[in-house]
Amino acid sequence: MLSLDFLDDVRRMNKRQLYYQVLNFGMIVSSALMIWKGLMVITGSESPIVVVLSGSMEPAFHRGDLLFLTNRVEDPIRVGEIVVFRIEGREIPIVHRVLKIHEKQNGHIKFLTKGDNNAVDDRGLYKQGQHWLEKKDVVGRARGFVPYIGIVTILMNDYPKFKVRSCPTCFIKNVIFCYIWESTDYS
Amino acid sequence: MAAAAAQGGRTGGGGGSSGAGGGPSCGTGSGRSGLLDKWKIDDKPVKIDKWDGSAVKNSLDDSAKKVLLEKYKYVENFGLIDGRLTICTISCFFAIVALIWDYMHPFPESKPVLALCVISYFVMMGILTIYTSYKEKSIFLVAHRKDPTGMDPDDIWQLSSSLKRFDDKYTLKLTFISGRTKQQREAEFTKSIAKFFDHSGTLVMDAYEPEISRLHDSLATERKIK
Repeated sequence: MLSLDFLDDVRRMNKRQLYYQVLNFGMIVSSALMIWKGLMVITGSESPIVVVLSGSMEPAFHRGDLLFLTNRVEDPIRVGEIVVFRIEGREIPIVHRVLKIHEKQNGHIKFLTKGDNNAVDDRGLYKQGQHWLEKKDVVGRARGFVPYIGIVTILMNDYPKFKVRSCPTCFIKNVIFCYIWESTDYS
Repeated sequence: MAAAAAQGGRTGGGGGSSGAGGGPSCGTGSGRSGLLDKWKIDDKPVKIDKWDGSAVKNSLDDSAKKVLLEKYKYVENFGLIDGRLTICTISCFFAIVALIWDYMHPFPESKPVLALCVISYFVMMGILTIYTSYKEKSIFLVAHRKDPTGMDPDDIWQLSSSLKRFDDKYTLKLTFISGRTKQQREAEFTKSIAKFFDHSGTLVMDAYEPEISRLHDSLATERKIK
């Protein structure tokens, strides 16, 4: 039998202690998950925290800024607001400003967006044949931001070696790493 | 007769490992438990990183547990620990339910269920905190002494300990609750951990075990006098 010294601690544990260690890890993951889901419920947006990935909104937002979003039904979208939307068929959300809105009596809206730092509006980015965005494409409206913190996510996105799929996963992973680092003195 | 326990492989006596002399198991187990014997290393002297506070505390706690359970043949009661494990399991269960439900019904429809799960999770966290602070209170062992006559209820021995962060003073408290009179008596000692570990981080049972026996006997003799 291999005598790996670091396994000694594990071998000395009985079933309950082992189960407790597994549970401990599960609880850390669950806490991060529950905080994320809780934010989702409170803000009403399916991705309440996003990282700005491109420089198309400079000088307002730079690459690596963290944005807090809400998506309340009772807040109408108005021209000049910064919205985060997802184009059908694409996974990555885009952060741009609303340029024009057409609104019907029943509250149904169509709107056009453009990045502050772009020369043209976003029609080139939309799906083939699509000229306007609708409310269902909106992930949320920017309500607050923290600069620079999201650089970690960008590094992970840029270097495929550390590739993780989307922002929420990054968030959870970041939180998990923080927890593990903090909780090194379990009792 | 060195009371070889049924689990096989324990070179009994003295409730502690006798240094490097604790060799391989006596092989009382059958072939099925042979692998388990090799996995369990109850005999090996405990060697930990002496600068790691939590490892030190855990090894001292485990050794105190071993002394009480092996030398005095008390039976461990898992009630407190099981309570904590259940609360944690229920919390994780809520988290898993939330995860799966959200995966099956994408976000806006799953809002009420998610809200319920999140609130329940944090309520369980609150319950867990209250449980560990007030009910468990750093007690890591609850052992019963079965009454030999079988008539009176069991006496309960509780061990709790504390070791402050970056401090070297370890406090071990032994509480005795008499089964008959429901009276409670405690004894404790506070010593520097340097007295129990040698310079390489090995726990020296010969220095540790008498302390525990002393605590135990001081509580036991009072009982006899009364």
